[in-house]
Amino acid sequence: MDFLFSYLALAAIYVMLGLSTNLLVGIVGIFSVSQAAVFGVGAYVVAHFLMAAEPLSFLPALAIAMVCCVSLNILVTLPSLRVSGDYFVVTSFGIQLLATAVFTNWTAGTGGANGLPGIPPPDVFGYELSSTFQLMALCLCGLLLACGCFWLIMRAPFGRLLRAIREDELAVAAAGKNVLRAKVSAAALAGAFAGMAGGMYATFLSFIDPSSFDLDASILLLTMVVVGGARTLAGSIVGPFLLLAMPQALSMLDIPTTIAAAARQLIYGVLLITFMLFRPQGLLGERL
Amino acid sequence: MLLLQLLINGIVTGCALGVVAVSFSLIYATTKIFHVAHAGVYTMAGYIAWWLVGRGAPDIVALLAAIAACALLGALIQGLLYAQLAKRRATHLVVLIASLGVLAVIQNIVAAVFTPNILQFAVPWAERVVSFETIRITYPQVLTIVVSLAAYGGVMWFAHYTILGKRIRAVASNPFLAGITRLQPNTVYVYVVAIASAIVALPGVLVPLDLGLQPYGGITPLLTATIAMIAGGVGSISGAFMLSVAIAVLQNLSLLVIPGEWSIGITFFIFVIFMLFRPTGLFAAAR
Repeated sequence: MDFLFSYLALAAIYVMLGLSTNLLVGIVGIFSVSQAAVFGVGAYVVAHFLMAAEPLSFLPALAIAMVCCVSLNILVTLPSLRVSGDYFVVTSFGIQLLATAVFTNWTAGTGGANGLPGIPPPDVFGYELSSTFQLMALCLCGLLLACGCFWLIMRAPFGRLLRAIREDELAVAAAGKNVLRAKVSAAALAGAFAGMAGGMYATFLSFIDPSSFDLDASILLLTMVVVGGARTLAGSIVGPFLLLAMPQALSMLDIPTTIAAAARQLIYGVLLITFMLFRPQGLLGERL
Repeated sequence: MLLLQLLINGIVTGCALGVVAVSFSLIYATTKIFHVAHAGVYTMAGYIAWWLVGRGAPDIVALLAAIAACALLGALIQGLLYAQLAKRRATHLVVLIASLGVLAVIQNIVAAVFTPNILQFAVPWAERVVSFETIRITYPQVLTIVVSLAAYGGVMWFAHYTILGKRIRAVASNPFLAGITRLQPNTVYVYVVAIASAIVALPGVLVPLDLGLQPYGGITPLLTATIAMIAGGVGSISGAFMLSVAIAVLQNLSLLVIPGEWSIGITFFIFVIFMLFRPTGLFAAAR
């Protein structure tokens, strides 16, 4: 039973990340491979405040992490989006590599390659959540919050503006809308989702290390959105649930453990290519 | 003395990066595709050469075979993937994601076949060193400078004085017009990606001679090269090459004050500065 609960909790966390990636890649149409970096910042910030000499409780720490991630995403997207979409590719690769370097080398703050063990379980309004079931419930609450947020935004005028930008940026600009501001706001929102996911991930696993937040993780997030389907809520939910089940399915095949990680990433790559060639809208999405 | 040594190291790295930047710039300026998978082609070159050298092939044969294999790989990527995507009217974003997919596939095939650990070339002459007083330059470093400068000169000559080179520049400047005048842009795209992939095989083989091979080691050079391309001005071959050398030299000199593991930060800092103050690059063609 605990196994199912932890699968659900992880899937819930990845759905939040999927929504975050979907906002950037699917809805605004910016290619991003740095979502895992933002996710990592959220996780490390929460871990830092929970393990500080005078620990904060979980919700304020999560709020701080979300603010950090939002500001990071604004800082990152602002200069490059001003120029051209392709330059953002460089920015996002750069941020991802830089974040991995910080997570691995800044030993004092992040524990370096060994990671940070012993992150205390979250407490909500004085209650300490320690069983897997309670943690799963917390993650599912986060999931509902994120999904509700996403759904509301997509119905709001702001959501329509974002969709319009993806269809025809020039026309939107000609209609007097501020394209850059809308894009940066979407990126900020994506940062908030990723920060929340990061905080929950850190407390759920009680251990974080740089390998969860590297380029491969970003590629996994992109694959989730591509497989599930871009631009829809359903797509961002289906993708993570399917892809998180895949390593389990793979472990039934007889693959030597030394190449298991490479084999998994290889499959993500093949999925990306196949879906782009034959079904760019994914399983339940709209055309990219 | 340390300063001079770092300067020389920077020039060596910069020349190799310059070739990566030039080849990437050829593809980007012509096909308008941000060919992320180029990092995979770069990695592949080194591993093919390593495998052949391990099987007892002469060094020069290994290099030539790697170049040929990379050209073929590039042509396949363009012909089977990018051309198909273009036929389906895929958006820019879709092409980018597919390219990232190719990168993941190449890197992980390499990692699965050759293990993810660092491999060293078993080439005896690679150990030899030219030294002036305290400054040491290895043979592969000398070779890297010579070959890179030759490759840069070759690309310049090719682009300006050969029929195919002129055809490529025509397609780059206006694919539609080139199509009407029977320059066949789609064929040209295959040629360009194949040629650029062949060129990137040179640093792909020469750099690992000195530093060893790693399956995921192609991304940082490609990122630095794209930054150099943007800072030099998209479409300017000389700009891309010169800025690569400048960035690599700066990176190496920064080792005096900042530890090496943060060099990606320096590169990225340069990029942000350019984004803020000169987003069109130093040598951008007039528009």
